[in-house]
Amino acid sequence: MRDPAQTLTEPLLALQGVTKRFGSLVALSKASLDILPGEVHCILGENGAGKSTLCNLIFGVHVPDKGEMRLRGEIYRPTGPSDALASGIAMVHQHFSLVHDMTVVDNVILGQQRGLVNTRAWAQRLERLANDYGFALDPYAKIDDLSVGERQRVEIVKCLIREPRLFVLDEPTAVLLPDEIASLLAICGRVAAGGAAVVLVTHKLAEIKKAANRVTVLRGGRVVARSSDPAGEIDALVRAMIQGDVKALDRSAASTLGVGEPGRVRIGDPPGETPTPEAVQIDGLTVIDSQGVTRLDHFTLAIGPGEIVGVAGVEGNGQSELAAVLSGMLEPSRGRVFLGDLETTHLGPKEITAAGIGVVPEDRHAVGCIVEMSVAENIFLNRLDGFTSFGFLRRKELVHAARDLMARFDVRAAGPDIAFSALSGGNQQKAVLAREITLPNLTFLLAAQPTRGLDVGAVAAVYGHIRAACQRDAAVLLISSELDELMAVADRIVVLYRGRIMGNCAADPRERERIGAMMAGQAQ
Amino acid sequence: MTDTVVNNRLDIREWVRPSVAISISAVAVAGLLGLVLIFAIGVSVPDALSAFVDGTLGSPYAIAASINRSIAFALVGIGFVIANRANLVNVGGEGQIAVGGIAATAVALYGGAADLPAGLPFLVPLLAAMIAGMIWGAIPGVLKIKVGTNEVISTLLLSFIAVWLLYWCVQSPALLRKPMTSSATLPESLEIPDSTKLPLLTGDYSFPVNIGLPATIIIAIVAGVLLSKTLLGVQLRAVGFNPVAASRAGISYARMVVLALGIAGALGGLAGGFMLLGDQYLLKDGFSSGYGFDGLVAGLLARGSVVGVIAAALLFGFLRSGGINMEMVAGVPTALVMVIQGLIVVTLAGAAYFIGRRS
Amino acid sequence: MTWELFAVFIGSSVRLAVPLLLAGTGELVSERAGVLNMSIEGMMLTGAFGSAVGAWATGNPTLGLLIGIVGVLPVALLQALLSNTLRANQIVTGIGINILVLGATTLAYREIFGARSREQIPGLAKWNPPLLGDIPIFGEAVFQQVWLLYVGIIIIVLTALVLRYTALGIAIHAAGAEPRAVDKSGVSVTRIRYIGVLFAGFMSALAGAFLSIGDIHTFTEGMTRGAGYLAIAAVIFGKWTLSGTVFACLLFGAATALQFQLPTLGVNVPNAFLIMLPYLLALLAVGGLAGRQTAPRALGEAYVRR
Repeated sequence: MRDPAQTLTEPLLALQGVTKRFGSLVALSKASLDILPGEVHCILGENGAGKSTLCNLIFGVHVPDKGEMRLRGEIYRPTGPSDALASGIAMVHQHFSLVHDMTVVDNVILGQQRGLVNTRAWAQRLERLANDYGFALDPYAKIDDLSVGERQRVEIVKCLIREPRLFVLDEPTAVLLPDEIASLLAICGRVAAGGAAVVLVTHKLAEIKKAANRVTVLRGGRVVARSSDPAGEIDALVRAMIQGDVKALDRSAASTLGVGEPGRVRIGDPPGETPTPEAVQIDGLTVIDSQGVTRLDHFTLAIGPGEIVGVAGVEGNGQSELAAVLSGMLEPSRGRVFLGDLETTHLGPKEITAAGIGVVPEDRHAVGCIVEMSVAENIFLNRLDGFTSFGFLRRKELVHAARDLMARFDVRAAGPDIAFSALSGGNQQKAVLAREITLPNLTFLLAAQPTRGLDVGAVAAVYGHIRAACQRDAAVLLISSELDELMAVADRIVVLYRGRIMGNCAADPRERERIGAMMAGQAQ
Repeated sequence: MTDTVVNNRLDIREWVRPSVAISISAVAVAGLLGLVLIFAIGVSVPDALSAFVDGTLGSPYAIAASINRSIAFALVGIGFVIANRANLVNVGGEGQIAVGGIAATAVALYGGAADLPAGLPFLVPLLAAMIAGMIWGAIPGVLKIKVGTNEVISTLLLSFIAVWLLYWCVQSPALLRKPMTSSATLPESLEIPDSTKLPLLTGDYSFPVNIGLPATIIIAIVAGVLLSKTLLGVQLRAVGFNPVAASRAGISYARMVVLALGIAGALGGLAGGFMLLGDQYLLKDGFSSGYGFDGLVAGLLARGSVVGVIAAALLFGFLRSGGINMEMVAGVPTALVMVIQGLIVVTLAGAAYFIGRRS
Repeated sequence: MTWELFAVFIGSSVRLAVPLLLAGTGELVSERAGVLNMSIEGMMLTGAFGSAVGAWATGNPTLGLLIGIVGVLPVALLQALLSNTLRANQIVTGIGINILVLGATTLAYREIFGARSREQIPGLAKWNPPLLGDIPIFGEAVFQQVWLLYVGIIIIVLTALVLRYTALGIAIHAAGAEPRAVDKSGVSVTRIRYIGVLFAGFMSALAGAFLSIGDIHTFTEGMTRGAGYLAIAAVIFGKWTLSGTVFACLLFGAATALQFQLPTLGVNVPNAFLIMLPYLLALLAVGGLAGRQTAPRALGEAYVRR
């Protein structure tokens, strides 16, 4: 029920019956909501619910097919970001749009003026603004040299320097450390207190509880619930978001929503007292990049068969380099890797796969699959020679085998000959998993950010397959920037910070604070 | 994204049809504009057209000459398509023809090929031509994998270098120039011995189509099968779409790049070999005569299909003959043919937008 | 080698480098903004032809230069339209335009002048700078050049200033490295890239004009002879910096000058090799002397808003 007092305030932004289609996919359907000035309004929904589409419509990146938007009562029909910016709307995107080899101040100047540029004046303005909001920012630093959290602050400053009336943030906390999240929410509160409206898009309930004045819940492109008392109605909101009861969800999957106590469901025997020969031994692995920066610093870890070890840490602390070396895509500067007795340190991808190492890469589209090729070709991409005689590809056999795997792994598509790009993110990831897990001699599974961007159903499926691999005694290394995920799935956790292991502990919820501190660089 | 069925068959299917329509329209539009240009320069269009037809179909000799030309275009075009499958753009056909011609001449004249038994006198120089072309194509490949050099620039620069290399060869008596009896001796090589000349299909010099024709047809079939039915074809495609993912899947990027460009170069060299041993019989400045670019345009026009290359190559082969006659008889400069080709490529480039497909 | 000969060598190097410097600067800006202009060669040829015919028709070389610039405009617009609005493959576009221009200029030249004409065309005058021109030995040989060179130098310096100290410069850098950033900041990526291509066209017109009415005072078919590709190679060699590009162009110019210089020194190198030298040098430059992956990230890709 709407508080009568609130209807007296004219909404800053009002959407009425907005619909947006991409080809045959309806991303947003008859969505109506309003944003009031001075509030922090959260848009809640799981991955794929239409939150980003909503933001893009507000910011003018796309144009609605149906419905209308009104800004301060006037019809608002932006044809591009310049219209939105001119109307006082600023947005922090999920994937930053910063120029990597330019300085912070130049990135901020971009789009703010014409003609000759007074860099010094802008730098001073920047510093003042940052200080005002309680954080430090070096205007002359290059984006390349900044951490992910710092880069996000650049994006934020870029927006706030325009003194926007509507400040939109699309899933900003996914890449942040726990205390960085707190500062971000504080900034949002301050901006709202200053009279502007803040729209915060998220799928994390903890944030809702802490920061939201009002919440709109999206599911499957539709507005399914609203609340003016989110902290009090959190259970109802969750039910609306996932259309079901939290308790019925796979507990590990639910944990990624930040609901209640993450439970760990481990099928099979916990690692016993008798020492088992380690399946994977990583010894002093070091990666120094072409600029002389140490990206991975003496990484040492042993994983037993059937064990799941999680690597926690904010993106950009060496995880990519670790995965690249282990999958044969990068030569380490120092150190060795052993799979049982076999040294895999310098093996190329083909040999890595032959040795029984399966890799689910963090960037599915860049490294994991080739979207222009068919589903069948992708599922067997690393095993095509198994379907080759005298150089000729036995296509019928390939398609048949693919259909088989697709059924087993619930990869939903019109057929194995369809272009991989036609599959949803969740189905694509299932296909990649199908490929890696069904390696005949799988001894080691490396999964990096495997559930990023997936809806709860797909997340549950991924965890199921990872556990299945464990049951076959494969060693699993799970790299994830979602601490909740690691808590739910891993047996123990190591924390990476600036390429070094800060510490090592069991995946116990009681260790949460300690892990959070380590993620922020505090040695324990 | 709509469901697109990915197919690898050679025959024309749903997704090729819009491509074929685009190609045909591009040719038609360019042809029409050509006619307009003829009118604009004051030549009577009927005269020009009759000269054109005369030049293309007027005599068995004319037809044979067109076919011989088409062979060279087709080979360069097929090489382009194969390399393009791996998203590599070979613009060095002209240079690859040149080095092929140099190698064929050298081996035919001074390599002792003439005295070899049955068939070898022309096969060995052809092989030499292929190897020379393959090296000329592989060099940009190696540069690409070692240093990341854009192959468009490297193949192009090598092309210029090759053309000047040929010039050097025919200028210098120490290289391939025929012995200078006086200062007026032309800068060209000796004529190759009869045994090294390619046998004609009919044995009749009034219809001088050589064995290059059946050879090219076989090569085209092999190329088509390779691209659509073999593992190598899939690997080339994978590398073309996403080299990183292909690499992670165990496909060697380095191997594919050097192989693809090497094959393209080899076919270009072979074209040069056919041109020398089957048509021109001696090496002189301007040997490649722009055939590399015709082949390139044929490759572009074909939009990835080997059948398309054959069609385009034939089109350009006859277009050239017609153009030459148009100049001789009706006074229309052959540059017009180049204008038409340029228009075709530009139209194709822009048309991709309208069928929603990358060119 | 005497000082006089050395001076002549320097002077020739500069003179032969001028078209590359002009075209290279234009191409640099275009590539920094994200558009690979393979059609530089065609645009230079159009400029050469347009200014030659213009100078011949009006009797005034400066008017000819202006006509050359105007003549390149449609070609540059075509390149910009194809690469940005129609999102065509930039390499295919470039090759197509080059073939088209080669054919069209040859055709037009034959029609206007006949097949074998080497008609003398009024050319641009040289300029002797006040102090520099009076330096003994070097003065005349090095510094007395066609005035277009000095205008070119001013333009190059201005370009450097714009790239470094203006909002446009920032936008150009961003458009080639991360066009999304440009778009989300409310600046039109298309507008920036059109500016880049049109500037490249303008500079190519000057470069081409220098070749025809600046240097040899005539037009010959296909007279650019790959100079456009050398300009592209110079940008690569210079790692997409203006100073690097300028250096590379001077280097290629010197290599070309050797063609005329070495014979006078009695060094007996085959002429063909000397003609080949700049291309060989360019190949070495792009093939190893330049580093990897320093190209603007979005070079050659059309931008689609997502």
